[in-house]
Amino acid sequence: MATLHSANRAMFWRIIRRLFGANPGRLFVMLLALGAGAAVTAALLNLEVDAKRRLTSEFRTFGANVIIAPPDSGHASGSATIPETLLDRFPNQTSGSLIPRAAFLYAIAEVTAFSGEGKNSARLGTAPVVIAGYRFLADDLKQVVPYQVIEGDNVVILDAETCEIGQKVASQFHLHVSGVLKLKAGETEHSCVISQIRGFGGAEDSQIFLSMKTVQHLAGLPQQVSLIQAVVPGGPAQIEHYLNDLRSQFPDADVRTVRQFTEGEAKIYNRISGLLTATVAIVLVLTGLCVMAAMTNVAMERKNDVGLMKAIGGSVRRVLRLFLTEAALLGLAGGMIGGAAGIFLSIGLGKAVFGVAARPRLIVYPVAVALTIIVAILSAYPLRRLASIRPASVFRGEA
Amino acid sequence: MFLRIVADSFGRRPRHKLLTGAALALGMGVATAALSVSLDVGDRLAKEFRSLGANLLVTPQADSLPLEIGGLDYRPVNAGAYLPEADLPKLKTIFWHNNIVAFAPVLEVRAEALPFAREGGQLQNWIEDVPVIGTWADHGIPLPDGGEFQTGIAKTNPWWQIDGRWFSGDAKECVVGAAFAIKNHVKIGDSISLATGDVTKIPAPLKVTAILSSGGPEDGSIVVPLSRAQSLASQPGQYRKLYIGALTKPEDDFARRDPKTMNAGEFERWSCSPYVSSIAYSIKKVLPGADVRVVRRVAEGEGQILTRVRMLLWLVTGAALLAAALAVGASSAASVIERRTEIGLMKALGAGSGTVGFLLAAEQLLLAFVGGGVGYAIGIVLARILGERIFGAAPEPSLIVFFVIIALAAGVTVLGSAIPLRRASRYEPAPILRGE
Repeated sequence: MATLHSANRAMFWRIIRRLFGANPGRLFVMLLALGAGAAVTAALLNLEVDAKRRLTSEFRTFGANVIIAPPDSGHASGSATIPETLLDRFPNQTSGSLIPRAAFLYAIAEVTAFSGEGKNSARLGTAPVVIAGYRFLADDLKQVVPYQVIEGDNVVILDAETCEIGQKVASQFHLHVSGVLKLKAGETEHSCVISQIRGFGGAEDSQIFLSMKTVQHLAGLPQQVSLIQAVVPGGPAQIEHYLNDLRSQFPDADVRTVRQFTEGEAKIYNRISGLLTATVAIVLVLTGLCVMAAMTNVAMERKNDVGLMKAIGGSVRRVLRLFLTEAALLGLAGGMIGGAAGIFLSIGLGKAVFGVAARPRLIVYPVAVALTIIVAILSAYPLRRLASIRPASVFRGEA
Repeated sequence: MFLRIVADSFGRRPRHKLLTGAALALGMGVATAALSVSLDVGDRLAKEFRSLGANLLVTPQADSLPLEIGGLDYRPVNAGAYLPEADLPKLKTIFWHNNIVAFAPVLEVRAEALPFAREGGQLQNWIEDVPVIGTWADHGIPLPDGGEFQTGIAKTNPWWQIDGRWFSGDAKECVVGAAFAIKNHVKIGDSISLATGDVTKIPAPLKVTAILSSGGPEDGSIVVPLSRAQSLASQPGQYRKLYIGALTKPEDDFARRDPKTMNAGEFERWSCSPYVSSIAYSIKKVLPGADVRVVRRVAEGEGQILTRVRMLLWLVTGAALLAAALAVGASSAASVIERRTEIGLMKALGAGSGTVGFLLAAEQLLLAFVGGGVGYAIGIVLARILGERIFGAAPEPSLIVFFVIIALAAGVTVLGSAIPLRRASRYEPAPILRGE
C-alpha cells in the first residue's frame, strides 16, 4: 500500500513537471501575468508604508511648528525674554533625531546704511530697523524659517563681521551684498558687512539678522532670547506628546504650536494619506481581479488536458488537485520573482519621489507572495466546472 | 465572410471572450481610475493647501520699514504708507482671477479700549495701547460679470477659531481675542468703545459678537470691521497689508528665473503658467504702488509637497497601467496560443498568414473596444467615489482619458497577441492538424 502510495505521488509530480514543460509559451505568459501582479502589489505596499512616513517629514518644509515664548507674550510686551539656555535643553524625541530649532532676540536699532566699505562709499540713509540675533541647532536656518536667497548665494566675506538682511530692508536702503551697516542701540554701536539678502514674505523681510552674541550685547540682554522656534517632526499625536514634555521641562515659558501650520498640516496629511491608501487599495483589488480573469481564461483552455486525464481513469478530485497544485506552484514562482522585482522597484521609485531610497520592508514580500498564490489558486478553481464534461465529447471536438 | 468568422468566434466561445473582456475591462478600469485621480489631484490639493493661509502678501512699496516684533508694529501711527481699498476689486479682473480664492486687507492700529459689561453698562477703566486689527470678515466684491465674490479674513486665515459669529459688514460690532477677553473679563454680548488720541467724549461702543482664538498674537487684540479701523487711524479708504490666497502650480527652475531676463516666448510661457511668482507679477500690475511678496514659508513647502504627491500618484498610475497591460497582454497571448488548431485549419483551407493575423487582430480589437469602454465606465465610477470620499468633489470625466484608455486597450491586446501570432504564421498546417 505504501509503495502504491509513493508511486502515486511520484506519478503526480511527474505529471506536474510535464505540465510545466509541455508549453513553454503558456508557462511564460502565466508567469508574466502573475509576476506583474506580484510586482505591483509589493511595490505599492512598500511605497505606501514608506510614503506616509516620509510625508510627515515633508511637512517640515513649512518650518517651525512650535514656538517657545516668554509667558504672557500675547499682550504688548515685546521686551520680555527667556534664557538662551532653553535652546540647548530640549528633551530628545523618542526617535532620537535632533529637533531643528533656532532662538531669536529682537531689538530696535538706529541703522545707517553705506553702499560699501572705504572712503568713496555712499551713505544710503538712516532709519530704525528691527535687528534679530539668531542661533540655531539645525543643518540650516532655512529648516526653521524658510526663505529664498535673493542675492548673495555662495558669497564668502572674510575678515569682517557679516549680517543678512531681509528684502524689504534691501529695497528700502537700495542695499546690495557687501554693503555696510552701522547699528546703534542706546550707547552701543556695531557695524557689519551684508553677506546675503533673503526673501521671507513676512515680518522677517524688514529685519537685519546678526549673530546672537552681537544683538545680546547691543540690547544689553546677555544670555536672553525673545523666542525659540522649533520644528517638531511627526503626526499630530506625536507633536502633542512632545509639547507636553516641553511644557514640563520649561514651566516658566509659554510653549505653543503655530496653529496655522499644525492644523492645516493635519488636514492635508489626512487627505493625502487617505488618497494614497484608497488609490493603492483600488489598484491592488482591480489588478488582482484582472490577473485572476486573465489566468482563468488561460486555465479554461485546458479542456483537452482534463478530458484526456479523465479518459484514462483520473478521478475528478485528483485531476483538480493536479491543476490546483500547478497553479499554486506557478503563483509561488510568479510571486517570488515579481515580489522581489517589486521591492527593488519601490526602492528606485522612493528615490525618484522623495530623494531617499525607500527602506524595504520584509513583511511586504511574504504578503505579496501569499496574495499571488491565492489569486493563482482562485483563478484555477473554475476548472472544477470542467469536471462535469464527458471526455468523449471533448475528443469529438464538441462542447 | 470575414465578419461571419469573427461573429462565429464570439458566439462559439462566449465564456472565453467574456473572461478576456473582463480582464480587459478590469485592467482598463484600474488605469482609468488612477489616471483620473492623478490628473485631478493637483487642483484639489492646491485648494486644500489654502488651509495653510495666504501665500501672497501685499504691502505698500513706499512704506517705511515696519518695526514688527511678535506680530506687533512699533511704528507710530502716522509713519509709513497706505494702499487704497478702492483698488481691490481689480484683483478679480486680472488674468489669474479664477486662481485667486480669497483675499483680505488689514489695517492695524493701536487704540484705547473701554469695555462695558452687558448688564448695567457699568464703566470699567480705559485699557491703553490695545492692538486693533481692521479687516473684512465676509465682504462682497462686485465682479465684472455682475456676480459677487465673497471673501475676508475667515477665508484667508482658516485656522482662526471663532466662538460666536463674525461681525457683519460695517456694523458696530467687533471680535475679541481670547487672551484679551480673559484678561479684561470681556464676554460675548458686552460692548467696547475704542478711541485714539485725546479722548474728549466716549465714542459709540462696538458689540462683541465672538471670541477669537488664533494661537498667535491676534489673541491679544480686537478685530473690527476695516472701516472702523480706518476711522480710528484717520486713514479713510486705506489699508496696509493684504493677504491673498491663490491656487498655484508648484515652482520649478523655470519659474524661479527673473522675468526680466526672459525672451518674449519664455515670458509668454511664464506668465501663462499659474506660478506663484507670475500671479504676484500680474497682481502688481493692477495695484499701483504695491509690493507683492511670496510668503516663502507657505509657498515653498506647498510646492514641494504638491510635486511629491503628484509624482507619487503618477508612479502608482504607471504601476497600475503596467500591471493591467501585462495581465491583459498575457490573456490575449494565451488565447492565440490555444488556437493553433484553428489557425492550422484556416491555413490548410488556403488562408494566408496575413489573413489569419488580420482576422485574429480584428477579434482582439473588437474585444479591446468593448472591454476598454466598460473599463472606462468602471474607472470613472471608482474615481468619482474616491474623489467624493476624499475631497468631497468628483473629478470631471475627461475625454482625453477615454481616448488614452481605448488606445491603450487596443495597443495592449494587439501587442499581446502579436508575438504568438508571428509564431503562428510560421506554422505548417499539416503537423498541427495531425496533433503534433
